[in-house]
Amino acid sequence: MTSFSRFLAISTADPDDTRRRRILNILVASIGILSLLAILVSLAAVFFERLRWENVNLIIIGSSVTILGMLIVYLINIFWSGKVAATVFLVFLTVVFAFSDTPEQVAGGRSLFGFAIPIIMASILLTPWFSFVFSTISGLIISVIALSISHFPNLPAVIGFFVIALVSWLSARSLEQALRELRQINANLDQVVIERTGALAESLERERIEAGRSQAILNSIADGVVVFDTEWNAIMANPALRSMLDLPLDQIVDKNFRDLIAHPHLSSRSRNLLQAMMEHDTQPPSFRIEWDQKTLSISAAQVYDYSKDRYTNIGTVTVFRDFTREAEVEKLKSTFVAIVSHELRTPLNAILGYAEMFKEEVYGPMNDKQVNMAERIMKNTQRLLGLINDLLDQAQMEAGKLTIQMGPIRPAELLENIHSVMDKIAYDKGLKLTSEIDDQLPEVLNGDAARLQQIMVNLVNNGIKFTSHGTVHIRLFSLYAGKWGIEVSDTGSGIPESEIPYIFDTFRQVEGTATRVHGGFGLGLSIVKQLVGLMNGEITVKSIMNVGSKFTIALPLVIPEQSPQKWSIG
Amino acid sequence: MSELALIIEDDEDLASIFAEALRGVGFSIEIIADGRAAEERLKNGVAPFLILLDMHLPYISGADLLTNIIKKDERFKQTAVIITTADARMGEAYTDQVDFVMIKPISFIQLRDLTSRLKPRS
Repeated sequence: MTSFSRFLAISTADPDDTRRRRILNILVASIGILSLLAILVSLAAVFFERLRWENVNLIIIGSSVTILGMLIVYLINIFWSGKVAATVFLVFLTVVFAFSDTPEQVAGGRSLFGFAIPIIMASILLTPWFSFVFSTISGLIISVIALSISHFPNLPAVIGFFVIALVSWLSARSLEQALRELRQINANLDQVVIERTGALAESLERERIEAGRSQAILNSIADGVVVFDTEWNAIMANPALRSMLDLPLDQIVDKNFRDLIAHPHLSSRSRNLLQAMMEHDTQPPSFRIEWDQKTLSISAAQVYDYSKDRYTNIGTVTVFRDFTREAEVEKLKSTFVAIVSHELRTPLNAILGYAEMFKEEVYGPMNDKQVNMAERIMKNTQRLLGLINDLLDQAQMEAGKLTIQMGPIRPAELLENIHSVMDKIAYDKGLKLTSEIDDQLPEVLNGDAARLQQIMVNLVNNGIKFTSHGTVHIRLFSLYAGKWGIEVSDTGSGIPESEIPYIFDTFRQVEGTATRVHGGFGLGLSIVKQLVGLMNGEITVKSIMNVGSKFTIALPLVIPEQSPQKWSIG
Repeated sequence: MSELALIIEDDEDLASIFAEALRGVGFSIEIIADGRAAEERLKNGVAPFLILLDMHLPYISGADLLTNIIKKDERFKQTAVIITTADARMGEAYTDQVDFVMIKPISFIQLRDLTSRLKPRS
């Protein structure tokens, strides 16, 4: 079958030409085979004495001529031109039909139908309009034959040929049109396939490079990274984690996180933290664990995949950072803070006490100059103590150790305390410290009394420091739904507008030179802001040069659950 | 005879300043410089009118002395207790248990005025 197909196959650049020449080959081969069969059957009939030689010799000669003709057509078709071969073939057929019967039958009888075959075939084997050429040839042939036997040419037959030619032409044309469109579609499809294949290959390559790059990044990262699926099985881990935990990677990857948590290197506190991380959907941003002698900081984040318009949790990526050194430094720092707190304050307290004793003339009368000197010692010692307190607060805040402890507070008491501490300082500078409480403000609130006091002392101190005459005023009030406020205003020098954005920065004083004039590290407002932040509050400032400044703090209004009466007795 | 004030404070200078303040008010003074000595004195000596107790002491902390002895022993029921500490947070925690909490730095004048109010007029 394959060799027969190869026998029929023709390959040319023009698909229409190929198709036509292939059809021609099929026809040529079929007619050739039929002719061969005719010869064989005839010879067999003679051999078995069913027919005599005279009866079959014409068949044998005709068939042999036909086979020869077909061979020539085939060779022309294969080696030269399809068009020429088809023309020769069709002319051959037409001639065969013209002489295959009596002239009467050919001109106007049963043989007329034979001419339809080359007419139809012309539209298929040559270009569609060739059916008209062959209908003309056939018409001419039958007319000539009719005239040669003195008959009038058969006009209906000639018209019939043209009608057949018309139908063939139309059918062949639409067939070719359809084939052309099909080929166009195929070509487009091929183009699309080529483009898609190219794009796919490109993206695969990109992905391969990307994956290689990601892997390289992951491998060279100093932090330990481990990725878990939703069941907390470790899918992958990087070499940094191996050295951090001092465990071979195969004891981490493909193992469940629970196996790692059970490791004896973990302290029980750390184990609980990791357990909690695993059990809760929301993890703290980061926490620390102790692994053997190391302190590791861990942060975990859920990994989401966005597909089909929704996010699906596909696991957790956990980053381990070696925090051992930082933890040691922090520990040192807090020890240092504790030592400074005690060792600096105690001698200063002694200096302050002795200076007061001089001033109070405990050991006998002093002259004015001596009293004045004692007062200066006291004032400077207090300033130094204030600075140390600020530094300690700042250090504690940086270490995250300064916490807010909420409890019932009475605004009136807050003000009383402020007055008892600050009145004298204001008076000594020739200023007035005034205060008021808004009627709307509840008698008892929830808050951290000590820290609120610290905030107010800082703000009032600040006001006094930058005011040379006039008043520093404190107002406690109901701000709006769910908030209450503390307002400290002064009639001082004011803050230049350009400096307002920076006044809450650590170690910052307006104009930079203020330290020399007013003293202090510039920590007061920074601490105030941080404390307000810890209380979930906000601080704002308004200031007009040479008119004064006003600091406003808005805090969440929380009324204690206990009945106010319980706390109303001071 | 004047009332006895017990000053339990490890810093010599502070102890002397406190002593001077209390003496000025009219107390007779006894100074103890560490936790162990204080424990010994509290258990065996006579109950004072006033105890000025530092929370940070060597050997036994002021907090322990307060909780384990002063608060437990009936003899100290009438004794006024003032604690001194540099840690405001810690001080706050004891406000309910003592008469006064003083946060360091402690002013000579403040201490003198406060104790003068505590002392019965004689």
